[in-house]
Amino acid sequence: MESRQHTQVLFMATCLCDAFFADVAKAAVEVLEHAGCEVLFPEDQTCCGQPAFNSGDFANGRKVARHTAKVFGGDLPIVVPSGSCGAMMTHGNSIQFEGETDCDMMATLGGRTWEICDFLSNQLNINWEGSLQETRVTMHHSCHSRGSQTGASALALLGGIQGLEVQEVGQADQCCGFGGTFSVAFPNISAGMGELKLSEVEKQQPDYLVSADMSCLMHLSGLAEKSGGALPVRHVVQILRDSIVS
Amino acid sequence: MSDSEKAVFDSVRSALKAKGEKTPYPEYDTADLIARPRLESGGLWQSFSKNISAVNGKAMRSIDELVSFLLEKKCRFGHCSLEWDSTIGEAIRAAGMRTSTEFDRERFEDYEFGITSGSGAVAETGTIVLTDAETSDRLAALSPWIHIAVITEDQLVESLGDAIGRFDENNYIVWATGPSKTADVEGILIEGVHGPGEQICLCLPNR
Amino acid sequence: MKGQPIDRFSSELAADTRTAVIASASSTTEKRSHILNSDYPDPNRLRKLAAQIKQHTLDHLDTYLEQAVSKMRENGVKVHFASDGDAARETVLSILKEKGARKIVKSKSMASEEIHLNEFLEKNGLECLESDLGEFIVQLDGDVPSHIVRPIIHKNRREIANTFEREGLGEYNDDPEVITRRARAFFRSRYMESDAGITGGNFISAESGRVALVTNEGNARFSMAPNRLHIALIGIEKVIPRDRDFSVFLNLLARSATAQQLTVYTQFISGPRVDSQPSGPDEMHVVLMDNGRSDTLGSNCSEILRCIRCGACQNVCPVYRQASGHAYRATYGGPVGAVLSPLLAGDAFPQYSDLPRASSLCGACREVCPVDIPIPDLLVKLRAKGKVEGIPTPGSPSMGGFARGATSPGLWRAGLRAANVMNSLPASWIPAPALRSWLDQRTLPTWKGGEFRRWMKERRKA
Repeated sequence: MESRQHTQVLFMATCLCDAFFADVAKAAVEVLEHAGCEVLFPEDQTCCGQPAFNSGDFANGRKVARHTAKVFGGDLPIVVPSGSCGAMMTHGNSIQFEGETDCDMMATLGGRTWEICDFLSNQLNINWEGSLQETRVTMHHSCHSRGSQTGASALALLGGIQGLEVQEVGQADQCCGFGGTFSVAFPNISAGMGELKLSEVEKQQPDYLVSADMSCLMHLSGLAEKSGGALPVRHVVQILRDSIVS
Repeated sequence: MSDSEKAVFDSVRSALKAKGEKTPYPEYDTADLIARPRLESGGLWQSFSKNISAVNGKAMRSIDELVSFLLEKKCRFGHCSLEWDSTIGEAIRAAGMRTSTEFDRERFEDYEFGITSGSGAVAETGTIVLTDAETSDRLAALSPWIHIAVITEDQLVESLGDAIGRFDENNYIVWATGPSKTADVEGILIEGVHGPGEQICLCLPNR
Repeated sequence: MKGQPIDRFSSELAADTRTAVIASASSTTEKRSHILNSDYPDPNRLRKLAAQIKQHTLDHLDTYLEQAVSKMRENGVKVHFASDGDAARETVLSILKEKGARKIVKSKSMASEEIHLNEFLEKNGLECLESDLGEFIVQLDGDVPSHIVRPIIHKNRREIANTFEREGLGEYNDDPEVITRRARAFFRSRYMESDAGITGGNFISAESGRVALVTNEGNARFSMAPNRLHIALIGIEKVIPRDRDFSVFLNLLARSATAQQLTVYTQFISGPRVDSQPSGPDEMHVVLMDNGRSDTLGSNCSEILRCIRCGACQNVCPVYRQASGHAYRATYGGPVGAVLSPLLAGDAFPQYSDLPRASSLCGACREVCPVDIPIPDLLVKLRAKGKVEGIPTPGSPSMGGFARGATSPGLWRAGLRAANVMNSLPASWIPAPALRSWLDQRTLPTWKGGEFRRWMKERRKA
């Protein structure tokens, strides 16, 4: 790796990793540290507030977002292992705070927030170097990374791992069908979307399905498992962490 | 102003009153809208021919070529506008087919082809421009299975923007880009739905 | 019945219809992307330009509408206004009656679909034939279109052949070419005998008053060639400032809709026929319809009025692909319908309030939209409207409890630990309906609440 600098970052673990995917959060911390960061974890963090925002419950969404703003005060970069939470902090808040007095403050908060792959590639300018036993992964680009640097950054980082083959999933523009509360309020449509995505993934027979968002992966692996299959999934940072050559 | 007109305008104005910042009209160059890869280095006619062929239309350069085509299609009778009767019409009749400078709507099904003046063509898209001022009869250019639009070289323009730039007082302008088509049934392309199933552009030297 | 209307539609959709919908939608989406990217170095620049022109026009709609109307009148067009669907229907009827028109041919118009014009005219004793092949079949079947551009994507050739046989259009034959020829033959004399043609309009130039109208089949040309009266029913948002802007929108419209460089026929009509022209209508009427558009303009979702009805958002939409167009239960399907239908519905908003919620907010629609409408943002704003208006959202968890938990860090941490008990509970015991719905379709990973926090603490101590 080329650059090792001392950068303090505030780590936002995400509620999903807090509840289910502890290893992803650990991997994110290890990768950031390997890249030379000092990782600070504000203990009072909860959730970015996206579930309420997506439900159109802006009043409750703003409450949670204001709590998050308080917890992540200061001017350090906020790094999050999820394109979805990242987009909530930047874009989602701009909608639900329209016309509110703290709209500008939320915009500043959004401006400090980085999805982790984007942060590593474009803020720290890391050229990742790692190595793995022969592994073949299929990359699923989450919808919240549309129009952002996340997808390209993730591919660039993974591209620096020897022994790793990265494939793109077919019909890449199609959503996996998660969509937060959408997945429970519209279960048939959501599952139908997921099954289409799974049929594309099956064509590739990867060792892991990889993404920069655990929510998509939770939905897809949950669908696969329910129908008796198994879909091993990894967050990009888990692959990066495993590739670190000590 | 009618009541309904006033009501709609009032409603629009009151909707706009609450709006803050207004989007300015963007500056742009219509040349930037040209699909450059569709233009050939060999000139406008070459580009036009390629592009009209790509949509299954036909580009022709001579009356002989047209006559052979009509014979090949076993045509016997069609409309030829007065303007082209002494040249194109004459050649068609010499080959044993019949033409009429009239378009008699009572026998519209009898016309196998219609030859009318075009008023231009667009190289970028393979489009033929028809206007009421130049077309002998709207139906003659529409109803026969084969339509031949006759233009002269100087009527060919590069782009859609140029064709719009040439808009004049004509109150009915049609851009025809290839034969009539549909893909409504299972997405399968079928040509010749309501309009012509063969769209030809015959381009003659400048007069 | 359980679940949201659109989700029920999806679960009841015939498997082969879904397959046909997905095949058509995904192939059109791919071709669209191909033609735009091979023709332009940066198609996004074109989309943003089109968006800005349209937004500018909407922001000054009163001015441009005024200009357009005065130009049209100068050109000899009779211009009418209609505040709502009723007024639009009555206006069209009275023009037809005044001219003694009984036989009408109509070319495809979404605005007329919106107000169910055909049924209305037929109820009033007039014959009104849809001439677009797909719309004709929809009319024969008493059906409604399921796609903005491909009205009968939900029908296969066998169903169509049966319809033609039933309607006396020839013996059963399901060859698409035969079907098309039969429609051609059927319509030719109908056109010639028609008294009037009704069309929509894609754009009106304020500068010249020209109405641009596109079709592939040529039916709109035929709807204003043999007869003496032309009526165009057009939404008030269809104005653009200048003639030169036509090239921006026409270049985008066909490529976005059907991956064509240009629709086969683009007509620019600015008045009744000239004396030298033997065929063509002596009168041209334009009915400008509001029908909820000015209210939409005043809402926080006005960007949706930029829509040029290309259907690209519908094709790319994974929800449409699962549910098909009829699931949207209104004239416009897909993402644009999910935004437009609830807005145009006015007081009937609650009837369509499931539509904006039936989206994973994936954003694919915005990426393909030729006028860059921020559709996902508008969907969320409409969800908020539903929330504020207190419209029930069955199946969606309430966010009050979530927000309390997520703003009380102590409670949150305790909850993370306490929920570990879930791992040992049978699914049927789980109290939250949302979670049960999740588990009906999927498994849930093992709960590891608090594990990362413990690890992080240990790491800091070390």
